[in-house]
Amino acid sequence: MWAYIIRRILATIPVMAIVALFVFSLLYLSPGDPAAVIAGDQATPDDVERIRASLGLDRPYLVRFGAWTWDILRGDLGTSIFTNLPVSTMIQQRIEPTLSLMIVTLILAVTIAIPMGVVAAWKQGTTIDRCVMAFAVLGFSVPVFVVGYVLAYVFALELDWLPVQGYTPISNGFFPWMENLILPAVALGGVYIALIARITRASMLEVLSQDYVRTARAKGAAQPSILFVHALKNAAVPIVTIIGIGFAGLIGGAVVTESVFAIPGLGRLTVDAILRRDYPVIQGVILLFSFAYVLVNLLVDLSYTLFDPRIRY
Amino acid sequence: MIQRRGVLAATAVGVAAPSVVGAQGGAQRLLRVIPQANLTSLDPVWTTAVVTRNNAFMVFDQICAQDSKGEIRPQMAEGWSLADDRLSLTFTLREGLVFHDGQKVTSRDVVASIKRWSRRDPFMQVLQPSVAEVEAMDDRRFRFRLHRPVPLLLQALGQTQFPCFVMPERIASTDAFTQIREAVGSGPFRFLANEWNPGQRAVWAKHDGYVPRQEPVDGLAGGRTPRIERVEWTIITDPATSANAMTLGEQDYWEYPLHDLLPVMRRSRDLVVEQRLLDGTYGIARFNTLQPPFNNPAIRRAVAMAVNQRDYMTAVAGSDPQGWGVCEGVFTCGTPLANEAGSEILKTHNVERARAALREAGYNNEKVVLIAPSDYPQINALSLVTADLLQRIGMNLELVSADWGTLIQRRASKEPVERGGWSIVHTTASGQSLTMPVFHLFLRANGANAWFGWPDDAEIERLRTAWVNSDSPEEGRTIAEQLNRRAMEVMAYIPLGYYWQPSAWRRNLTGVFRTPATVFWNIGKS
Repeated sequence: MWAYIIRRILATIPVMAIVALFVFSLLYLSPGDPAAVIAGDQATPDDVERIRASLGLDRPYLVRFGAWTWDILRGDLGTSIFTNLPVSTMIQQRIEPTLSLMIVTLILAVTIAIPMGVVAAWKQGTTIDRCVMAFAVLGFSVPVFVVGYVLAYVFALELDWLPVQGYTPISNGFFPWMENLILPAVALGGVYIALIARITRASMLEVLSQDYVRTARAKGAAQPSILFVHALKNAAVPIVTIIGIGFAGLIGGAVVTESVFAIPGLGRLTVDAILRRDYPVIQGVILLFSFAYVLVNLLVDLSYTLFDPRIRY
Repeated sequence: MIQRRGVLAATAVGVAAPSVVGAQGGAQRLLRVIPQANLTSLDPVWTTAVVTRNNAFMVFDQICAQDSKGEIRPQMAEGWSLADDRLSLTFTLREGLVFHDGQKVTSRDVVASIKRWSRRDPFMQVLQPSVAEVEAMDDRRFRFRLHRPVPLLLQALGQTQFPCFVMPERIASTDAFTQIREAVGSGPFRFLANEWNPGQRAVWAKHDGYVPRQEPVDGLAGGRTPRIERVEWTIITDPATSANAMTLGEQDYWEYPLHDLLPVMRRSRDLVVEQRLLDGTYGIARFNTLQPPFNNPAIRRAVAMAVNQRDYMTAVAGSDPQGWGVCEGVFTCGTPLANEAGSEILKTHNVERARAALREAGYNNEKVVLIAPSDYPQINALSLVTADLLQRIGMNLELVSADWGTLIQRRASKEPVERGGWSIVHTTASGQSLTMPVFHLFLRANGANAWFGWPDDAEIERLRTAWVNSDSPEEGRTIAEQLNRRAMEVMAYIPLGYYWQPSAWRRNLTGVFRTPATVFWNIGKS
């Protein structure tokens, strides 16, 4: 097991190297010039050139890539072209809101979707099943920003129950923190609730038709015990896989949700950096996201051993 | 109805009662602002971003500043005196000026700041050949020694477009092309660097050592009295969220509300929606004069014949005529040089005549590439109106939608459209920036050194120099008319009218005044 974990961690190194090369090259080739953004409309071409030189953007591709890679190897993600702040500081400032949003969304999605999927499978073909599936279709179909605006209108503007924007750090208290996260998490969670509920239902239907479930019923096991102890554990592998895959989608969804609810997270940092062509920030954030994605996949793979003793690494 | 404070906050009070009470008391002393953009840089010399300039108005002070009529008044300066031969201009600083780090402001700081700013300000660069030296005489006095009289020097020093802000000498000695790392000034508010989270918020605290002028506030002149303990900018990129935050009282001031949302906000009894900025924003359609078909002035003029500024302004600012205006000349309407000499072509407003003029001009169906910035709603709207117009007059149009970052790189290309070039781009400019030929960017016609599009016209350049050297306002106005006439012949750009950008604030704000830039002194909260 430990050898497997170490092998997987080592395997992230070439993955991260390829991501780094790809991101750097893509940004190098993409149109846009931060020096022109900084200089503004009144600047002469000479001014723009001098700013470009002062930022080191006039150096050849290989020199820039080499310098950046060397910095990364030393743990330095670079400095933002615009704010002059270290990229690591900017990420540090933004990571808490995004992590909070993702964690609350995942908890919300899992706690709602799994029971929904289990009940839908149990009551297959009934009104309950059809309602759950209708909700799932709705969750897939309505874009996150539309859900966000509707929630903001109802619960913030009309009812004044929750704030419409912003983020309060958890250090300021659990309730103020949660107050700002409820609407964004519900907006972002809709699609994951739908996704996880559907997968849970499908996986449970397969398991519920197995012989050992029939045996459990014949022995007089209670229905909740059959569903949540015997069946769900055996249906868990595809569910956990889809939660892991959903993590990537959560990163994309967070960008939109953070904009709608003005949450100062990594998603907005990325969008702002892309629009301004703040290369060090874009590169730093994408590297971080890639690493997080690789890590989540590793955790998902490891979690399989908990649900299925036949799986051994 | 259950209110928010009755749901979660009630629980929270039990947990954190002291902080809630503190926050309620602090709300009266805190001004919460949604700025027009994210504050990414603190250096108003390094970048020309308006949001950086607005930050600079809080942190730094000016030697002199513009009042609501556009006159230049003393600010840090107690006054100034011009020698009889007009070859020396001496300034004396007010007493009691201190930087946020506690150091006294001296004339050495001012001289270093002027020198750094002069290297980047286009206005000052025009005047620079006439300036022999700027030098500190003692702690409170400094002077400009001149080769020849420079009547526009005060205008340059007190301008709002690219203001000359005073920094400590140790900061101002930074190269003008390198970004400063500290925002330490002597202005009415201190920048709290440790609370700055670019993209989320920026915070200022009242500068207790600030000594405002005794005159009442008047534009950017007069007493810059801070009446609030703390100003907090929160970056909200989504306009609908900003509008909701204003309506709910989560924010106090929104600098640039989207025009589409103004009617909704005006319906709220808690909000004031008014024009606070003194200048309108002007729309510009710029031709690439180096490449076909717009290297032919007759084709540029043919397009101008089809333009109706009302269509453009309605697309940008809506159908309420109070929100925009027509200005069919190159200088800002309502300012001393505004005129419409030779502007008849812009009053044609006729697609059929434009189509005929296009044929007469020899248009041969060359491809026209128009780049529209999808992430700038106003400029995008201007671009789309032009795109429609070009198609209606029969031009072979390719409309390219790009983000602003891509657009500003592509507009620097002088290549033909087949090799990544462009034919027409749009932008906006503040009314301030179009009031005088000396800094009127779009009027310049000095070829490769002109703004993108690179028009080359010796007559415009001659008239511009003549205006800078003119001796009297009357002579200046005559030259301005000649300039407008010539600009209409060259037609390097088409003026598209102007729109007003209102601001919105909570009704409990006091002391909000009209000004050429968004500033927060004199504003209190009841």
